[in-house]
Amino acid sequence: MSLQIEGLCWGHSQPGGSWRQLFKDFKLECPTAQFLVLIGSNGSGKSTLLNLIAGSLKLQAGSLRLKNRPLQHLKDYRRARWIGRVMQNPLDGTAPGLTIAENLRLAESRRRSPFRWQGLLGIRPNKLDVRRFQELLESLEVPLADRINTPVGQLSGGQRQTISLVMATLAEPELLLLDEHTAALDPKAEARVMQLTERLVRQLRTTTLMVTHSLEQALTHGDRLLMLHEGSVRGDWSGAEKAGLSHTNLRELYGSAKVSESNAD
Amino acid sequence: MFSIWLGAYNQGLAYAGLALGVYLTLRVLNFADITVDGSFALGGGMAAVLITNGMNPALALLAAVLSGALAGCVTALIHTRLGVNDLFAGILTSTGLYSITLRLMGRSNIPLINLNLGLDPLPDMGSGGDGDWAIALSLVVIGLVGLLALLLATDLGLALRALGNNPTMARANAVSGATGLILGIAIANGFVALAGALVAYYQGFADVTMGFGSLILGLGAVIVGESVCRPRSIPMALAAVVIGSILFRFMIALALQVGLEPVDLKLVTALLLLAALALGRLRLPGLANGGKRL
Repeated sequence: MSLQIEGLCWGHSQPGGSWRQLFKDFKLECPTAQFLVLIGSNGSGKSTLLNLIAGSLKLQAGSLRLKNRPLQHLKDYRRARWIGRVMQNPLDGTAPGLTIAENLRLAESRRRSPFRWQGLLGIRPNKLDVRRFQELLESLEVPLADRINTPVGQLSGGQRQTISLVMATLAEPELLLLDEHTAALDPKAEARVMQLTERLVRQLRTTTLMVTHSLEQALTHGDRLLMLHEGSVRGDWSGAEKAGLSHTNLRELYGSAKVSESNAD
Repeated sequence: MFSIWLGAYNQGLAYAGLALGVYLTLRVLNFADITVDGSFALGGGMAAVLITNGMNPALALLAAVLSGALAGCVTALIHTRLGVNDLFAGILTSTGLYSITLRLMGRSNIPLINLNLGLDPLPDMGSGGDGDWAIALSLVVIGLVGLLALLLATDLGLALRALGNNPTMARANAVSGATGLILGIAIANGFVALAGALVAYYQGFADVTMGFGSLILGLGAVIVGESVCRPRSIPMALAAVVIGSILFRFMIALALQVGLEPVDLKLVTALLLLAALALGRLRLPGLANGGKRL
């Protein structure tokens, strides 16, 4: 098992003071290299689950293990050594004032802390690093190799999200978290980013959790589909079962008008 | 006449460490650090006390750097561990530092006359001591710029720049925001305290009030340098900041030539900066919104 979540509890106080217990004794296991897609209406806990795994939110009870390594007591930036993450907002994933090469270098070196003396050895990214990154982008058919020394702030949202995705998969992550990473993109950019996602996940065999609101994506991507509702699993399909699902099935299961709203396509 | 400009050049260089420190906190880390007002005087006071007690001036400079770095650590810890807002954390530290510096110095002013800095072997430029100073300070500042440029080009520097640029992204790439801020602010205040000590050496005394308005002075140098040089890389930006510090002193020398009283200097500096802020030359998140009205 790559990712093991057991007895997870998490709740929050709502406006007005009442307590909402979202996750009660939640359990989830993902084998290595599984591509898991998470769907569910707003407030079902999809993004919260990703935040709990990444460490942006604290577990109130339960255990969280990645390749048998307990994570729950590590801060988010420590977990980031093994967890690559792409967020919904393209502005969140990259540093706009740094060039593509500098952003990639930062992501590549995240297994070690930059604040050790090794962080002072040599000028980075050097010419070799830049060449290596250009080759990487070319091999992934990302047409940004010639703009490797351009500040990321000058790129479009789709291009920034592409770079975020490449960054998240550098440094051999053991887990990849994709939090509606195509939601802010136009259809063309969405298709390109999803194509690259599929390619990277399959190539690196990284265990992946992808949250999406698009039923289209949920049906076409991933090995396993999980539907969350109010912090619990409402549906869990994989293999032939998942292949047999249709839009209509999923819509019925959602059972709420919110879904068709957020998935007007 | 020449000696006035040479003096301004020297002053600009003596203050360059302050400008570099402000650049590091404000531009690289995106942290408005008022600690510099305290650490500048602390550096000057520390070096003066040690020298009058017989310490080698070079070692005294090193001690000043360390004291400044320590002050920076305090601000960074107040901000990161106790969650106090950046401006307020700096004000707390610099307020406390005033008493600490005064305690350290034992009196509000320490003269440094007959100070032997070992500058005699330097070639005589025909302009007395100021020529020696110009050479010595130029070398020190070139060293400082080189050191900071190298530091910012390493993986560590990359992490600091990312942190100032986008803290969310930095955390997602395993950069600890707290460690980064502590390190960056400590280094910046080390530079500032060094400038305080150099200024004390150059002007021949250390005064407990010499740090007032340091942040604004440093900021002035950064703005002047950036608008004149329009740097496109980090090493160029650092050089621009030093040039800004020198030009800033030239402007002050000019103002004094025209007949401005030294008493009014701080007011003029503040007004110049205000004009720069209002004209949108300076975009600082949290401090200024590039001249746009809210």
